[in-house]
Amino acid sequence: MSTPLLRLEGVGVTYGSGATALAALVGISLEISAGEVTLLLGPSGSGKTTLLQVMGCLLRPGQGRVVLDGRPLETLGAEALAALRLAHVGFVFQHYNLFPTLRAWENVAVALDLKQVPRNRQNAQAMHLLDKLGMGDRASHFPAELSGGQKQRVAIARALAGSPNLILADEPTAALDGKTGQGVVATLHDLAHRENCAVVIVSHDPRVEPFADRVLHLEDGRLTDDRRAAGNQA
Amino acid sequence: MTGPGIRTPLLGTSLLAWRNLSHDRARFIVTLIGVGFSVLLMGVELGLLVGFARTTSGLVDHSRADLWIAPAGTTNVDIAGRLDERRRFQALAVPGVATVGKLMLQFGFWKKPDGGNESVSLVGIELDSDKLQPWNLVEGRVADLQQQDAVIIDRLYADKLGVHAIGDTVEINSRRARIVGFTEGLRTFTQSPYVWMTHRNALVYPNYRPDQTTYLLVSLKPGADAGQVRRALRERLGRVDVWHRADFARQAQKYWLITTGAGSALLLSALLGLVVGIVIVGQTLYATTVDRLPEYATLRAIGAPAAYLNRVILKQAAISAAFGFGLGTLAVYVIVAITSYGNVAVIVPFWLVLVLAALTIFMCMFGALISIRRLVRIDPTSVFA
Ligand SMILES: Nc1ncnc2c1ncn2[C@@H]1O[C@H](COP(=O)(O)OP(=O)(O)OP(=O)(O)O)[C@@H](O)[C@H]1O
Ligand SMILES: [Mg+2]
Repeated sequence: MSTPLLRLEGVGVTYGSGATALAALVGISLEISAGEVTLLLGPSGSGKTTLLQVMGCLLRPGQGRVVLDGRPLETLGAEALAALRLAHVGFVFQHYNLFPTLRAWENVAVALDLKQVPRNRQNAQAMHLLDKLGMGDRASHFPAELSGGQKQRVAIARALAGSPNLILADEPTAALDGKTGQGVVATLHDLAHRENCAVVIVSHDPRVEPFADRVLHLEDGRLTDDRRAAGNQA
Repeated sequence: MTGPGIRTPLLGTSLLAWRNLSHDRARFIVTLIGVGFSVLLMGVELGLLVGFARTTSGLVDHSRADLWIAPAGTTNVDIAGRLDERRRFQALAVPGVATVGKLMLQFGFWKKPDGGNESVSLVGIELDSDKLQPWNLVEGRVADLQQQDAVIIDRLYADKLGVHAIGDTVEINSRRARIVGFTEGLRTFTQSPYVWMTHRNALVYPNYRPDQTTYLLVSLKPGADAGQVRRALRERLGRVDVWHRADFARQAQKYWLITTGAGSALLLSALLGLVVGIVIVGQTLYATTVDRLPEYATLRAIGAPAAYLNRVILKQAAISAAFGFGLGTLAVYVIVAITSYGNVAVIVPFWLVLVLAALTIFMCMFGALISIRRLVRIDPTSVFA
């Protein structure tokens, strides 16, 4: 096994302070490697989203350290964290978070623009990514003109812009029907294996499990289970 | 619908900025009207200022004299005492002086053909000299002033003075005068219209002695140093003021715009226009920004530097500035066209257009600041809410 892409050591996150302080994450240590799909399970309020934010360099934990691609995060400021996200992380959100005024391909092109892809190549690269997700023929549609599953595919195409090595998806199937949701997860699974990137999916959806290489359980902010999936489809 | 392979000319921050604006058309139109109105307000007020300034110094600006010799203590070209003609010969004796002409400028009472009086400014010129002649003559000839009682006035004031055509007769200071020509666009800030006549005729109306005049207009010999001649004239003549032409023009502008308060009133209104613009742009841009906070949070979450977000806002401001400026400038020129036939002129030279453009850019960028300040505090984790 290669060196881990992401390492968390004794990570703790506390929201608020004093009487209202709430420990959302407690003593989390784990490693995430390229080429696998990790499924993050746990009851509502157990800290899954918080953990994803820590992994995605959106939230600096109060305790412990986070090392992404060999770089410890604790000394980085907001702009440096943003730069790290831009370079390494692709996000997929429950509510897609597409830019509603931009066409499908333009949504992807903005992410490419952020990654300094030259303007004259943005259209072609965006089209390539949309094609990969089977959305090539919808490239000129606005998000409002797409179904939920189609929107999520566009969002994944956007997350893939610039080939990040860590893809973080928070409940990517929650707003989709079972079959569509499964398709989306299958796509993420394919990506992890074909492009050798690490994929972390937060989900309540049992239909996601067959696509996971590894399953983590969170409860009250603590890691209670970490196992290799037996019957994954890889 | 465009095909999948289509390119839009806009990408990145420009695309986001343009779509943010054009998506909410009503608000965009409010912004443009706000900027346009503000440009109109600033343009008209500053244009009036330029118009007034040029009006107050028109006679000086149009003279072909290097130096003006004025009675001591003269503060503006329209109001002055008298000089003795012997000053002229003293001036001619000063080294560097080529020619010296006389110019009479005094107030007079104009009695309209159908009764009623108006105050006028009598301008007595020497026809055989080019030091000062009525300009923009649209009817008659300057040479016609040679005739007995002949005067030339401006079309803008024909109604006010109760005359309509060449040949109309009136009384000035109870003496007969006859219209022989019209100029167009020669305004007076004092609202006492200029009445052009020969210096000889002009002596008669205000009862000047034949050896008196108001100003002496000096032309220099080629190569003469104006500053040196000016000092020499002051020494030689004593008890007179000697002005460089441009300085005298500036002095007249300062006198009227400051003493009448017109200058500060106009500047204040222009400033008000700027403030109105900043408020409207700031307000509408901020509303758009707040509407789109989730999108800015998404951009930040996926790794956009703060500068990228700011660029979107600034480009929105720039687009608003460009379109609003176009709209406002158009309106300003409509006003300019309309007032060119009235007795208050709004004059907008090209440099003023550049000033307006700079003010518009300042206004929009300043308006963008509140939005930028809001985005500094944006929380990228809010995208998971
Ligand atoms: N910004 C915040 N401020 C204060 N408390 C927070 C904040 N975000 C999360 N929490 C709290 O931290 C705990 C963990 O929240 P988190 O969103 O990580 O849970 P989750 O496992 O993602 O839940 P769900 O399955 O409902 O999405 C919860 O008790 C939540 O109320
Ligand atoms: Mg959650």
